[in-house]
Amino acid sequence: MANRPVLAPQLRRLRRELFSSPGDGVLSISLIVLIGLVAIGFLRWAFGQASWAVIQVNSTLFAVGRYPIEQQWRLWLLTALLAAATGLSWGLLRASPRPDRTGTLWPRHDRLAVVILVLGALWLPWALRLAALIQLRWWLVVALLVGCRWAAGRFAAVLPSALRRLVPLLWPALYLLGMVLISGGLGLVTVPPSEWGGLLLTLLAASFAILLCFPIGVMLALGRRSDLPLLRWGSVLYIEFIRGAPLITLLFLGQNILGFLLPGGLAPERIWRAAWVLTFFAAAYLAESVRSGLSAVPPGQFEAARSLGLSYGQTLQQVVLPQALRVALPAMVGQFISLLQDTTLLSLIGLLDLLGTARTVMANPAFLGKSAEVYLTLAVLFWCCCAALGLGSRALERRLDPHTIPSAT
Amino acid sequence: MSESTSETMIEAKEVQKWYPNGFHALRGASLQVNRGEVVVIMGPSGSGKSTFIRTFNALEDFQQGSITVDGIALSNDLRHIDAIRREVGMVFQQFNLFPHLTVLENLTLAPVLVRKRPRAEVERQARALLERVGIAEQAAKYPGQLSGGQQQRVAIARALCMEPRILLFDEPTSSLDPEMVREVLEVMQDLAADDITMVVVTHEVRFARQVAHRVVLMADGEVVETADPETFFTAPSHERTRRFLEQIL
Repeated sequence: MANRPVLAPQLRRLRRELFSSPGDGVLSISLIVLIGLVAIGFLRWAFGQASWAVIQVNSTLFAVGRYPIEQQWRLWLLTALLAAATGLSWGLLRASPRPDRTGTLWPRHDRLAVVILVLGALWLPWALRLAALIQLRWWLVVALLVGCRWAAGRFAAVLPSALRRLVPLLWPALYLLGMVLISGGLGLVTVPPSEWGGLLLTLLAASFAILLCFPIGVMLALGRRSDLPLLRWGSVLYIEFIRGAPLITLLFLGQNILGFLLPGGLAPERIWRAAWVLTFFAAAYLAESVRSGLSAVPPGQFEAARSLGLSYGQTLQQVVLPQALRVALPAMVGQFISLLQDTTLLSLIGLLDLLGTARTVMANPAFLGKSAEVYLTLAVLFWCCCAALGLGSRALERRLDPHTIPSAT
Repeated sequence: MSESTSETMIEAKEVQKWYPNGFHALRGASLQVNRGEVVVIMGPSGSGKSTFIRTFNALEDFQQGSITVDGIALSNDLRHIDAIRREVGMVFQQFNLFPHLTVLENLTLAPVLVRKRPRAEVERQARALLERVGIAEQAAKYPGQLSGGQQQRVAIARALCMEPRILLFDEPTSSLDPEMVREVLEVMQDLAADDITMVVVTHEVRFARQVAHRVVLMADGEVVETADPETFFTAPSHERTRRFLEQIL
């Protein structure tokens, strides 16, 4: 054993972790072979048999549905604004997690994310053989995102803190602006909701429901803990009723009942009816998460705030809710993610969301038998959206947790 | 030093309280506290001491009797309760600092929100108070990063930042390690020299002897004995007090 070859430390670690005993070795080797076979099979399918023409030809349909072509510049503008806002927020989050912490501006994960983003932006539009102009637009969007990320991280320290506090307000402002850009009004040509579709509709319905179910859910949770019997029982009844019914039945109910209940013309567009049903459905589940967060706040916090003279509202806003929501955040994000996936049910009530669009595409005889390609694309798109939600929530969680903040000295 | 003027700050008369589960916690407890006075309440656990002082700022309600704090009668009128809470500070056994706010923010929250005072001014005062309780250098930290004794001193500074006329202490040293008890008691002793009125529920005999103007014994939801510390600890007039003292001395 004298001249046993010296292994690099990484290889030594690999050997320790994978081959520490004969049993482990057998298990490791069979797993590696299995994974390798699956990967090779998949790659051969993806680059050999699979025909991605179905995605290439229909990429616009998947993205925005039947949104009129001459108005699509509005969506590009919105995408660019969203990229800029994402870059800004990302950079600021890294630049100053807290006034008392000096963070690194470009952690390893961030550099990795930028590389993936840039490579994806260069490769994907090319692989899909999009028009040169559209490829260029995607490059510009990603360049804008990375540029804003860099600028925000670089110059955040120079910004006055009053201005920096305004950055989170960018998002609601952008949401309202986005609604105008998408639907028209204020001098823009109106594009009726029936012409929205694909990823646009999916994201719109999901973000609408996520944004609105949050305040409703918090109010339901507070109502459930209220001293007023009417409020308490009302909240309990609502939560239990909604949680006892499958979403799909509620969606059908919403489509039919709202039409009967509201006089003609007053009933909202089918898409809005569905979005409201999603909102009220999610609010009931969210209320339960918030309630668990509320019960994690010790009663002493409430007493301390009250004994300092804070009113009930101030106590909730300043002391109880910040702590409760931080505890409830992981569960809430879990619900937001399943809400995003629940939007696929919209296709069952005849709306052309991402899944609905996919079904119409697959029904086209020209693309017969191409369902694997379509479903895989759908899965990747959903995975990207959910991963973004998860990443954002984890960053927020770390930022809100006072215990992870190292001391100033 | 505080010459006990005869102005009454707290007057509780024949207070009766039942908890929702039917437990009769206060059975006609009465107490009068004058301006600038330091009153220590002692008694076996379960005697209603904490419940009693928690009725003074309406953290607990009561069913019979009357309580007047700083000239305001405690009733279910919310405006009165808010007015009283602004004038009465409270320090808890478990500190109850707000863990999501820095030490400085813990102090400035209520004065800025409730008293509507300018933030810069409140921050100056808060830093001065932290200096006074000996932890000025911790202002930017979070409560979770401090020791128990430091947290309790922050809690005292937080109560003082509202400039209350009365401070209630609910067993302020009971959940502290022995070596931290002293730093908190020293701060309280320092406060007692001021004009502020203090009602302290505690088991610290030395504090009661050295700092209190009067010591009160509560047992079974009643005030059994009220006396100056010297008399209370050496020549109590009630059998119940003697039994209690035998157990703790």
